[in-house]
Amino acid sequence: MPASLLPLFSASNSDRLVAWQSGRAMTAAEFMADVTVVANGLPDSQWIVNLCEQRYAFLIGFCAALLRNQTTLLPSSRAQQVVAELAAAYPGSYRCDDDTIQDVLGGKLRFSSSAVSGHRGPAAKQPALVGFTSGSTGGPTPHAKLWSSLSRHTELNASRILETIAFGAGGSRPWIVATVPPQHMYGMEMSVLLPLLADMPVHCGRPLFPADVAAALAEVPRPRILVTTPIHLRALVESGQDFPDLALVISATAPLDAKLAASGEQRLQARVLDVLGSTETCAIATREIVRDTAWRPHPGVVLTAGHNCTVVEAPWFDEPARLQDIVEFLPGGCFMLSGRNADMLEIAGKRASLAQLTQRLLAVPGVVDAVVFQPEPAGRGPARRVSALAVAPGLTAAQVLDRLKDSVDPAFLPRPLVLVPALPRNATGKLPREQLLGALRTASAGDTL
Amino acid sequence: MPTQQTADEHELAELIVNALNLEDVPPESIDPEATLFGAGLGLDSIDALELALGISKQFGFQMRSDDESNKQIFSSLRALSHYIQEHRKT
Repeated sequence: MPASLLPLFSASNSDRLVAWQSGRAMTAAEFMADVTVVANGLPDSQWIVNLCEQRYAFLIGFCAALLRNQTTLLPSSRAQQVVAELAAAYPGSYRCDDDTIQDVLGGKLRFSSSAVSGHRGPAAKQPALVGFTSGSTGGPTPHAKLWSSLSRHTELNASRILETIAFGAGGSRPWIVATVPPQHMYGMEMSVLLPLLADMPVHCGRPLFPADVAAALAEVPRPRILVTTPIHLRALVESGQDFPDLALVISATAPLDAKLAASGEQRLQARVLDVLGSTETCAIATREIVRDTAWRPHPGVVLTAGHNCTVVEAPWFDEPARLQDIVEFLPGGCFMLSGRNADMLEIAGKRASLAQLTQRLLAVPGVVDAVVFQPEPAGRGPARRVSALAVAPGLTAAQVLDRLKDSVDPAFLPRPLVLVPALPRNATGKLPREQLLGALRTASAGDTL
Repeated sequence: MPTQQTADEHELAELIVNALNLEDVPPESIDPEATLFGAGLGLDSIDALELALGISKQFGFQMRSDDESNKQIFSSLRALSHYIQEHRKT
């Protein structure tokens, strides 16, 4: 293999297992056969927008694109307008969903006649994918990832995971079950790249309810790793459901509190590994919060304090990335996070900024003034809802929400969205938090009387 | 006008409002035949997760999402209430 090419797989062994699909384990050879069919059937284009909801279809589409030297675009949301904006920003890109993959696999659809040469790996410097974050100005910011960079990340993730489960020589490779979608960078790293590059096969389901998670785990052989989020972990802990034995639980996308992690470890009888990362940086540090609250950076990752942010560098980054977190450095290279830019939201593995959501709401025809904000966290668990105040004469809240659905992911739809005659702006035109909360309370008291 | 909620449907409507912190939605205002997800109340999959948790605590059984009839089960307050009455263990 020429030096500029990297393998699509960690092992050349065609018998090694890649995925659990439709009730059975699939080997690398079977998987590559499907990938080759799809690669040969994809249209000629530089960009593919992979919207597949089924993990297997996503994997096939992603690998097929790599073989064709195409770059996968991962929109931050599936909302109609977000996808349309992406298509406009990348002329010539095409969309691929579960049906596209099924149709190409089944021979019902074929775009291209250019054949690919089997198992050739992607070029190290190929941009394998582009993830998007929402900038504070409202527009999406692209973050391209080279195949070489993703490969290095995956090596580091894998070695941290294997160390945590005390994986010994001769042990069976761990199986992954994930509750997160493959499109999110965390889901991409843990449920797509680990199976491809680190010989950790993945269950292709995306279990939702605790009983689904238990059933998916029971299907795959030991040792098992569950890739999930604090929201899901809390549901599993509180469910009263029995779970098969687990080697490790991995959590990311939102802060995991030590109490929930401890209940998780007790309930699931497995260690809980908290992962710190972002679309910009991929995973950069981990901690077992039950035993240590400090983050341990992946080898090679260097953090330095910037102005109101933290600069992250690593030899495999194209350029330094900025985190919105303020970092406190500890002796021995570990660090603590203290505070996050209040504008950014992470809900269910999806990101948005309050500024962007406010822009979307203002863009709804009939809305003349509006603000989206996060009310005080109510009760336990991660905060997960935003609220909004809007001025929209002649419209009902339901009508505004209905129009907002075209451009905003359901997870970020304001609840409640309250219509007011005017926003509670102060003398300088700002919207003090207390005033926003007050307006919300007044409105909900009026509704429930 | 929404059709009248039965006692079981009202109990479930209260569970939905509490589990999902829908402070601005009076339980009796949920139309038993209107859609819960997408349009209607605009619930999403995380809401479904919260709801399943509330249902397991209150009615003593675990919901599954890979059930073919899942869309039907969650289609409305009435359909979900029917499903719960058939499966409840408490």
